[in-house]
Amino acid sequence: MSIFGKLVTLFRGTAHEAGEKIVDAKALTILDQEIRDAATQLDRSKVDLARLMGQSKLSENEIGARDRKIAEYSRYIEGALAKGDEALALQVAEKMAPLETEQNAARESKGHLDQSIATLRATVSKTESRLKQMRAQVDQVKATDTVQRAQAAIAARHSGTNSKMSSALGSLERIKARQAQQGAQMLAAEELETDAGDGDLNRKLAAAGLLEDSSSAAAVLARFKQPRQLPQQSAGLLPGTVPVADGDVLVGVITPRDSHN
Amino acid sequence: MSLSIHDIHAQLTQRYADDDGVRVELIEGLTPAVMVELEEYGDLDIIVASSGEQIVVSTILVPASQVKDVAGLNAACMRLNPINPLSNLGITTDADGVENYVVFGELSTRSGIDAIDEEIQALAANTIDAVEALRPYFD
Repeated sequence: MSIFGKLVTLFRGTAHEAGEKIVDAKALTILDQEIRDAATQLDRSKVDLARLMGQSKLSENEIGARDRKIAEYSRYIEGALAKGDEALALQVAEKMAPLETEQNAARESKGHLDQSIATLRATVSKTESRLKQMRAQVDQVKATDTVQRAQAAIAARHSGTNSKMSSALGSLERIKARQAQQGAQMLAAEELETDAGDGDLNRKLAAAGLLEDSSSAAAVLARFKQPRQLPQQSAGLLPGTVPVADGDVLVGVITPRDSHN
Repeated sequence: MSLSIHDIHAQLTQRYADDDGVRVELIEGLTPAVMVELEEYGDLDIIVASSGEQIVVSTILVPASQVKDVAGLNAACMRLNPINPLSNLGITTDADGVENYVVFGELSTRSGIDAIDEEIQALAANTIDAVEALRPYFD
């Protein structure tokens, strides 16, 4: 079974167990076993490869020697024929014929041998890269395990009264809360600005003698000129609240400033 | 040259020495890890750990206990993963048996500190995007 297959079987088997932590430990055991198996296979392949390469070298030497022998016989045959000694030539040719048959067989066998060597070489390099991948996977499992331990340590740290949810969901909530707070602060600042900058309204109110602290000469004079109109109205009102024509009360004019005292 | 977790801690600490919005801390334990807390991302904790040549940069998306639509979230994560080039989504179980949905990325210890820092920042941005997009599946 592939490593993937074994790991999935492992997850299925432990999906309902309370301590799912053992999955990682078992995953490491599986990977360690796979690595050992692959390493054993790699060693065996390398031994086989060395043996086959030795055989191939030997076979190459034999083929070379036979080639030289065949070349020698060829020269003899040519020499005998040149001298017209057909009987001698035939005698040499009879020696050479089985040698040529042998040579053809040897070449064919070496061809098979070299093919096996190429296949084995590919297997070795494939096993080596598989080992590398598995070792990286072991590292990944181990690093992930370290991450989880650190996360558990941080979670334990925040589990007291001063709890901070150490997840992105918690962070998102903090970001939103901070944005809301910033928004509120900006709004308050704007209100303060308006408040501070509502001199226009205040000026009009002061001009009309409606502001308590209005101390302009015009207001004072106006108050004296029409003493009956105002006292009864302002008496019942809170400072800073001003009645308007339709009966609504403008509380907002002063309150924001009060709330920031 | 390959970076140890202590190298990573030292170099990140140096990098953020003048930045009040980033807190770098070594979390001691069986094997130490580095925590980077980013104020800009709502104090999100990013954990960096390594083993052999492998570096994992990870953060918790949401504890599984806060997921109200597990099937919906799982399907959404499976669909998101292939089109999200920078980070992976997954489920892990921590040392106390607590299940978490995590967002993580991998690097080699041969990566420089710039690449690691880039991964941390990208992971944080990605994770906040993801949690906002996946909000309907949570409690």
